[in-house]
Amino acid sequence: MNNCPMKRSDWLTYLSGDLEEGRRTTVAEHLKECPECRKDAEEFRRVLDGADAVKGEIQEALRSVDWEALPARIANYVYANAEKPAELSAGGRVRMWFLQAGLRPVAAGVAMGVLLGSLGMYLVLRRPVPRPNGGKTYYASGEFLDRAELEMARRETVDYLEQSQYVLLDFLGTPSSQAAARPGLSMAQARELLSKKKYLNRELDKFQMAKAKAICDQIEMLFLELAQVSGDLPEAELAKMRNLVEERQLFLKINLIKRELQNGV
Amino acid sequence: MDILDKGPHGGLAANPDDIASLLERIQKGDREAFMTVVRLYQQKVFVMAFSILRNKEDALDAVQETFLRIYQKSGTYRPGNNFQGWLLQIAKNVSIDYYRKHRQKRQEWETPTPLDDIPVPVVDKTSDSRDSDLRSAFTRCVEKLAAKQKMVFMMRHYNELQFNEISAALEISVGTAKSLHFKAVRNLRKWLTPYLGMER
Repeated sequence: MNNCPMKRSDWLTYLSGDLEEGRRTTVAEHLKECPECRKDAEEFRRVLDGADAVKGEIQEALRSVDWEALPARIANYVYANAEKPAELSAGGRVRMWFLQAGLRPVAAGVAMGVLLGSLGMYLVLRRPVPRPNGGKTYYASGEFLDRAELEMARRETVDYLEQSQYVLLDFLGTPSSQAAARPGLSMAQARELLSKKKYLNRELDKFQMAKAKAICDQIEMLFLELAQVSGDLPEAELAKMRNLVEERQLFLKINLIKRELQNGV
Repeated sequence: MDILDKGPHGGLAANPDDIASLLERIQKGDREAFMTVVRLYQQKVFVMAFSILRNKEDALDAVQETFLRIYQKSGTYRPGNNFQGWLLQIAKNVSIDYYRKHRQKRQEWETPTPLDDIPVPVVDKTSDSRDSDLRSAFTRCVEKLAAKQKMVFMMRHYNELQFNEISAALEISVGTAKSLHFKAVRNLRKWLTPYLGMER
């Protein structure tokens, strides 16, 4: 712990090169003599070096932009999309005159007076008005609704993945237990999931859930193949699909995606 | 172009009278005056947007939106005020709005990793070595800073603005800007200790 009375904010300003001449010399002299401050200042300097590393990324981005062409591109966009520039209103000019003449306190006083007067008038004159539906009105921001929609989409995807997992296990049996398949019931569920996927596609695209979409597409392909086979599934076909599922680590990936969706990643 | 001074990042800055006259010409529909303002400040606005959005295309969208607002508000600029501060304040607000609007969609889903590249748990263990990279650690730590500390730090070190320019852009006093900067660096030092090989 450094107990030196020298202000540490001074070193920082010194290291950033923002300290005025006289103070800079004082700090430089102090740092020569005080090992504790020198050590702390060195650590601050290394942090600032980290900022330089990030600055390199910014410089790289700056170099990759065509600055000659950009003004014309921006002008085209602005002149195509913008309305005529707003002019300062009469009220704005009065306000500007107030502020330019150094009358900010007066302006603030006038504004406060108007505000208090209005509030007083409102309190005196207001009449309680009975509202329909008991005054219970609910509002939600666009951002909140977006979040809610995203959450719904996530839950539906998790639900779809879970049901698909059960159906696939029914068809193929777990790799370890080699349980017997029950194609009759599972086939109907697979068809149901295929139609559900059509609805889910819109949600997956809308929220750009690329990984979830990729795994749902793979499941859909399997269901489509299963749906094309009529009657009992031949053992060879079943083994082929089982291999495919194991090879692609489909169950593991379904679990990973489910976990990510449940954690809201 | 002899009225211009060279600024950081190769950007340029005009003196207040020239800016007032350029904005007046913009209001009269002078496209060339608008392009001159864009040429003067495009890089500064880009650095501000890029610092917040960390993506070139998004930053360029924010630059475009910022100049659209400047065009629309050119009549409300008060001569004598700090134009660059006003502009960067708009750029900051536009970039933050852009970030908030696209945040949900810009999480991991947006970069569609091929399914076969999804890391299985065994592969996951190697991610520790990537995390030790100082630059990514630094970026993460800057993200962790409180909003105002982060903004002051980015303006000082990425935009290379002076404290008086930062105070104008954020509408705070120079003393507050310096104090927020100090707190930001102190926090970064604390969080980066393991990465910089420093003793606590």
